Amino acid sequence: MGDYLDIVENSPGKRVLLMGNEAIARGAIEAGVCVAASYPGTPASEILETLALAAPKLGFHAEWSTNEKVAFEVAAGATITGVRALTSMKNAGLNWVMDMFMTLVYGGVRGGFVIAVADDPDAHYSSNEQDTRFAAFYGEIPCLEPADQQEAKNMTRYAFELSEQLELPVLVRSVTRISHASGDVELGALQKIGRKPVFDKHWKMPYRWNVYGPPGAVEKHSWLHSQMPLAKKAVEKLPWNRLELKGKQRLGIIASGLGASYAREAVRKLGLEGKVAFLKIGTPTPLPEGMVKRMLKAVKTVFVVEEGDPLVELQVKAIAKDENRDVEVVGKLSGALAPVGEINTDIITNTLAKTAGVKLPEDRKRELARAEASKLVAPRSSTLCAGCPHLGSYWALKQALRMAGGNVWIVNGDIGCYEQGGYGLFAKTVRPSLSTESVRYPIDTPYDTLDTNYIMGGGVGLMQGEFQSGYKDGAIVAVAGDSTFFHACIPAVINAVYNKAKGLFFVLDNSWTAMTGHQPNPTTGETATGEQTKALHVEDIARACGVEFIKVVDPFDLKTTTAAIGEALKFDGFAIVVARRTCTLQLQRQKKFVGKRIIVDQSKCTSCGLCISLGCPANTYKDKKGGIEPLLCNGCGMCAQVCPTGALRMG
Amino acid sequence: MSRTNLIIAGVGGQGSVLASHLVAMAAIRDGLRARVGETFGAAMRGGAVASHVRIGKDVHAPLVTKDGADVVLALEPLEGIRNVVKFLANGGLLLTNTRAWVPTDVNTGRAEYPTIEAIKGAVEKLGGKTIAIDATSLAQQAGNVRTMNVVMLGALAGTGKLPISAKTLKQIVRENVPPKTIDANLRAFELGFRAIREGG
Repeated sequence: MGDYLDIVENSPGKRVLLMGNEAIARGAIEAGVCVAASYPGTPASEILETLALAAPKLGFHAEWSTNEKVAFEVAAGATITGVRALTSMKNAGLNWVMDMFMTLVYGGVRGGFVIAVADDPDAHYSSNEQDTRFAAFYGEIPCLEPADQQEAKNMTRYAFELSEQLELPVLVRSVTRISHASGDVELGALQKIGRKPVFDKHWKMPYRWNVYGPPGAVEKHSWLHSQMPLAKKAVEKLPWNRLELKGKQRLGIIASGLGASYAREAVRKLGLEGKVAFLKIGTPTPLPEGMVKRMLKAVKTVFVVEEGDPLVELQVKAIAKDENRDVEVVGKLSGALAPVGEINTDIITNTLAKTAGVKLPEDRKRELARAEASKLVAPRSSTLCAGCPHLGSYWALKQALRMAGGNVWIVNGDIGCYEQGGYGLFAKTVRPSLSTESVRYPIDTPYDTLDTNYIMGGGVGLMQGEFQSGYKDGAIVAVAGDSTFFHACIPAVINAVYNKAKGLFFVLDNSWTAMTGHQPNPTTGETATGEQTKALHVEDIARACGVEFIKVVDPFDLKTTTAAIGEALKFDGFAIVVARRTCTLQLQRQKKFVGKRIIVDQSKCTSCGLCISLGCPANTYKDKKGGIEPLLCNGCGMCAQVCPTGALRMG
Repeated sequence: MSRTNLIIAGVGGQGSVLASHLVAMAAIRDGLRARVGETFGAAMRGGAVASHVRIGKDVHAPLVTKDGADVVLALEPLEGIRNVVKFLANGGLLLTNTRAWVPTDVNTGRAEYPTIEAIKGAVEKLGGKTIAIDATSLAQQAGNVRTMNVVMLGALAGTGKLPISAKTLKQIVRENVPPKTIDANLRAFELGFRAIREGG
């Protein structure tokens, strides 16, 4: 968490603590970025958050776009007018962008264009572990991969230059442990770019910005190919690609990005400094092939260290085929490193020790003590927040589904805080089912609600297929949040109306993009830089899309919300219920939340357990008696509505 | 010691991330390099949070290795033992707040919360030492219960386990907390520092 002033000030040489995402933002600021656009996604959100803080002061444009594809196009459009632009996103965000990405590269860009992507090996905050460096390989553009926060800043700054030199977008690939980690960073000077935006339809190439314009896509693809040799030449000279090779080293390490930081520490831990050759890679594509060749000719074994899939390792093996067929390549393809999850210093130390023939000490007694101590470690399941409106929405949905009939409903989930409705908390063990019939599973807490969940906007499409298949065993529901609705649900809503799908689309509207850290979105009424703007409402858009059943309810009012859902489930068509209440956490921050005290009378408690099935972390149930944890309770009153005996009631 | 590895563990909302950044900023001010590896998820309250802080002349990786933490600074006891098990070095220190933030799993009768005595015993068997203080009470004494993280930073400075001066750390606290809370935070730092120097 850097100081805001450090981010915007022209103080070259100053050393400050920056989070990786702040460092990327600072790199763009130093390079004179003119337009920045993004959609929130952990672990990338703070890139645009930081740029949005700086934008009003430094006079550039920063926005939260409705989704990553729109953000990419906003940034790409700016570069066509010759100014510098950046778009940032999480790993999965790049998937939305791929159509434009793969086509834009055919004509390239005029102003520098940086695509900053934060991957998430180990899927800490993501639905998958995809390695987006492959997108750069696929799209034939350079990829820069920082080893720490200093490189994240410097590389982002340089990426604009490289982009203008090659007239191509450049991808900066971060990972969680760079983006959501902090390090000391020496700041550089702010460049004064001050370009006037211009437009030239045939700039250096006929129909430059129109892939169909003569001579057409194949010619433009050919131009794209012709840029790769230039890129290869450029990367051989970069300070972030560095070969340390002495005379008689038998073992070499080729380590890319953050992998190089882990490998450095592993080498030191094993006392192998100077004993192994080291090629630090900052550009996994294109690789500094000259350096790779020199390394391969000199050593007998090469250990490839990289975060994600074996992109560097594959290329090293291909180069080895021509340069030194006898060299042994150790890495993820050889099975020495796991092909999934993230790497760290411990993992690299263990594999390096095996590869180098160094024996690591074992301490059995300590391992026994560790196993014993582990028994003390109670789980801390993540839950929705105390007083979260989603708790009320899920409670009402469960009640309405039960009342609608005793059959097998399907609740399709989506991406947001409410995705916890599918986490199945409290370490429940689930045995895989081999049933050939529909199976109903109980919903004990809100965390058992969601039956499917994949990607942004996925649920409302899936529900239509479930309906169109002829599924008749129960109600079909999709759940999504407000930001997700604007991001990816609208075409699916139109499709439902157009193709006569039936079912309930339940929109949990807390008016913020909450899970990624409370960014504003089209329904919030403010922009990324805090300016007031028109607030769009889900129900207005649904109405314009032709949806005939629309209800807006307050999820704190459990009875009304349950009734509205019940009515929607009976509706013979596509129905939308919007549960609207601002995120409790956000209201507390703005000091606007005023709850009431919950009065507990345990003599009235019959141990029915309904209160804890609400799933609120402020509800306690010690010795099977309902209670309240006063430090957590916000006094929303939902548990008092749930309690049938008055053991919990509003003060 | 050429490198110091510290883990600051707590529950989302207790200020462990800020505390870790303050230590790292102080290290940079004192001419060292710093890395902070953060584990936090959604913006939600109440989740387990651990920040890995590495300071020294030559640090690269953002994460502390297994059995590599010189100190586990725990703003909450359960989060302390959670990180001790994996990261505390032989001879390391668990410096913990005694005040529990009981997880939903325990509140709903699905798990047991360990006693401070059990935690101390386990730390000892792992070759470590435990210092426990009621930092939450000290924060209340300082005038703002939310300064508990800074009480713990004062205590950490009091142990002398950091390669940075208590003066620098205190100055960084002064510069980086909200202006209205500076006095309470400085009192909190002092109370934590004295709890170790005079009490422990």
